Amino acid sequence: MKRFIYSFIISIASINAYSQTLTDGLLMPKKDLCVGFLYTHDQWENYWEGGLKRDNQNIGTITTQSMTFVANYGLSNKLNIIAMLPYVKTQSSSGTLAGMKDVQDLSVAAKYRILAKDFAASGFRAFAIGSFSTPLTNYTPDFLPLSIGLASTNLSGRLTANYHLNQGWYVNTSGAYTWRSNVKIDRPSYFSDGQLYFSDQVKMYDTFDFVINTGYYKNGLQADLYYSQQNTLGGGDIRRQDMPFVSNRMNFSKVGALLMYYLPKPKNLAVRASFSYTIAGRNVGQSTTVMGGLLYTLHFSKTNNVPNP
Amino acid sequence: MRTKFYIPILVTFLALILLPIRCKDIDFTEKLTPQTPLSIDANAGTWKPIVLTSNNQISVAVPTDVTSDTYKAELASIKDLQSKLTSAQRKAIEYWSGGGILRWNQIFRELVARYNLPPAPNADGSYPAPDAENPFSDPQFPFSNPPYAARAYSYVSAAQYDALKAAWFYKYQYNRSAPYKVDNTIQALMPQTDLPAYPSEEAVMSGAASDMLKALFPAALEEITRKAGEQRNAALWAGKATASDIAAGLALGKAVAALFIARAGNDGMKNAIGNKAQWDALKLNATSRGDVAWISLDLPSRPPMLPFFSNVKAWMMTPKNIVDVRPAAPPLATSSEMANEAAEVKYYSDNLTRERIAIVHKWADGVGTYTPPGHWNDIAAEYIRDARYSEVRAARAFALLNVALHDAAVACWDTKYFYFNLRPTQLDPSIKTGTGIPNFPSYVSGHSSFSASAANVLSYLFPGSAAEFSAMAEEAAMSRLYGAIHFRKDCMVGLDLGKRVGDYTVTFATSDGAN
Repeated sequence: MKRFIYSFIISIASINAYSQTLTDGLLMPKKDLCVGFLYTHDQWENYWEGGLKRDNQNIGTITTQSMTFVANYGLSNKLNIIAMLPYVKTQSSSGTLAGMKDVQDLSVAAKYRILAKDFAASGFRAFAIGSFSTPLTNYTPDFLPLSIGLASTNLSGRLTANYHLNQGWYVNTSGAYTWRSNVKIDRPSYFSDGQLYFSDQVKMYDTFDFVINTGYYKNGLQADLYYSQQNTLGGGDIRRQDMPFVSNRMNFSKVGALLMYYLPKPKNLAVRASFSYTIAGRNVGQSTTVMGGLLYTLHFSKTNNVPNP
Repeated sequence: MRTKFYIPILVTFLALILLPIRCKDIDFTEKLTPQTPLSIDANAGTWKPIVLTSNNQISVAVPTDVTSDTYKAELASIKDLQSKLTSAQRKAIEYWSGGGILRWNQIFRELVARYNLPPAPNADGSYPAPDAENPFSDPQFPFSNPPYAARAYSYVSAAQYDALKAAWFYKYQYNRSAPYKVDNTIQALMPQTDLPAYPSEEAVMSGAASDMLKALFPAALEEITRKAGEQRNAALWAGKATASDIAAGLALGKAVAALFIARAGNDGMKNAIGNKAQWDALKLNATSRGDVAWISLDLPSRPPMLPFFSNVKAWMMTPKNIVDVRPAAPPLATSSEMANEAAEVKYYSDNLTRERIAIVHKWADGVGTYTPPGHWNDIAAEYIRDARYSEVRAARAFALLNVALHDAAVACWDTKYFYFNLRPTQLDPSIKTGTGIPNFPSYVSGHSSFSASAANVLSYLFPGSAAEFSAMAEEAAMSRLYGAIHFRKDCMVGLDLGKRVGDYTVTFATSDGAN
């Protein structure tokens, strides 16, 4: 039986470089290392200027592509360490603004199983996840919607609960609170949320996100449907015909689907693909996101068949 | 074995607890602490006015004597107010102690940033025009773009400056002391000076600024009125002015503002937008020279920004002066010189390094900001604060700066629309930009013109920092090339134009009696 994770739901969401991860109910076994590359293609034409949905010919369609290196290591059967690093490239289809590209934020997370309860034909798991992310390059967050990210250093605390039937069906939910550091921009003043700030420091309000998903996972196959939502707990709206700003109150809800399959050959290689669509938002683009990638698992332990966590 | 697993968990959760404790709130106001001016400029009543014919053009009635019952009742009222000051009132006193002129300058920079948003297009691709009679609608009125802002800053600054010189004139004519000097049981809650209190300079400033601002930013009436009232109250609560000092000051400030508002009504701004037929006719300005006419790169195509701002009255320059300083024509779009210029812009477009992005964004001052003239006010504010000027001298500094910036706007717009030439991206659509392309012709650069005129005036006021101002102006100019929205020639000639415009203001300043 294959052991793998399905925790990498990377989404460079609309104008927010938002990476959602660690929301599932599984762990890598001890001394297993899973590495891979995921390619993400995110595109939007309509966006929400505050509550007003519109398009803008001066940007046309914004396309954000990223290639993310991911790694997950089973420090024990209860604790995984997860790292991600994307390279991001943005471009607009219309207007004159230059696209941007660079290495974005490094994320490192620890995922710990705090509860495991098995019944006759099912099981329940709960996890606590702490994650940290910080920009690895000095990219500017003050060129939205073409900035590659928001450049804040973040700490997240997440709780995940998972209930699964032994025949493979599961339901899962996860929620996180993210503390975000202030960011520095290149100009000495900015107008935001009804106020002129004589500072190059921008306060980034914290965010809360949650995901609910359900699916099937057995024998190297995973199929998953999810709903996710992220809210920024403060910040101003994009004003009428203004540019977006790094500390805008960016909210969005998405629905998505994910498929992953461990190929019969070569052994330990998994393909992974996902799709998501933004169904509602505020100060973000209405993204359609597709992702595809390959993950390879290395077993460093002699005893390969660790029970499913 | 078990404990080892807990270490990363423990570290992460400790970090999660510690991060929020770190203070996230930022201090976003410019630091202005109460301070006593180095000089009270007792002779400011003799300095040359800008619009007033003389500093006593508007009469101010003789105040009641400090021994009168009326005045004593006013003092008693201050004592009563001071005995029950709330913390909000004390905060207001502290806020306005930072300097009335400096505070008003912050307030109008904020207003400019708030209203600096172009109208959004209609569904059919046309654009609605901001309507002064309907300022709260979408689009809001005004659209305080750079020329509008330059003019607004200049009117408010010049009105305050002329009003304060008039106030100084009467202060020394009547010599009625401040309440805290007359009655030593009245506390001085603002820094004490020997400046006579009648008419109150806070009231003069508030009256001149608020009436002028209400004319320029009618939708912000409530906020402007509240700030103005707060400034007058702060002077009263601080023991600096009595009710009659304030009433006389307010009347004087408003009377001076009325003269400036009358000037503004006839300065040509009404006709600065023009109409479709006039916009179409502008193309001839380029094609008649054999050049390629500018087209709007906004999508959908937007009417040019204030094409007839060149006809708006300048402060220190006559219409003939404006024509005299107009630079020679730019190279034709088809010339090899222009091909070289475009190639250089293309280089910067293709090589938008992080260092250059920082410079581009530092000076961009585009949509939603206080504009380049506001940026130069921001820069000047620190020097003016640190110089510990009296209110009237601070007003002079901002007035000189802003009349020069306004005149630079007029001269620059005159050049832009006289030649009506194209932006680099119009010549070579593969040129992508590091900031938005402003919606007007390229030659000469507005940023360069504004910055050089400001640097010229500030170098006159603060000669010890002249090199800094020049360096800033050059950086601001080059930021437009780095951002690939201007040719080098636009920037270089713009700097030269701005410098020459600034000379007119400096000439005025050298003989205004304030030196």
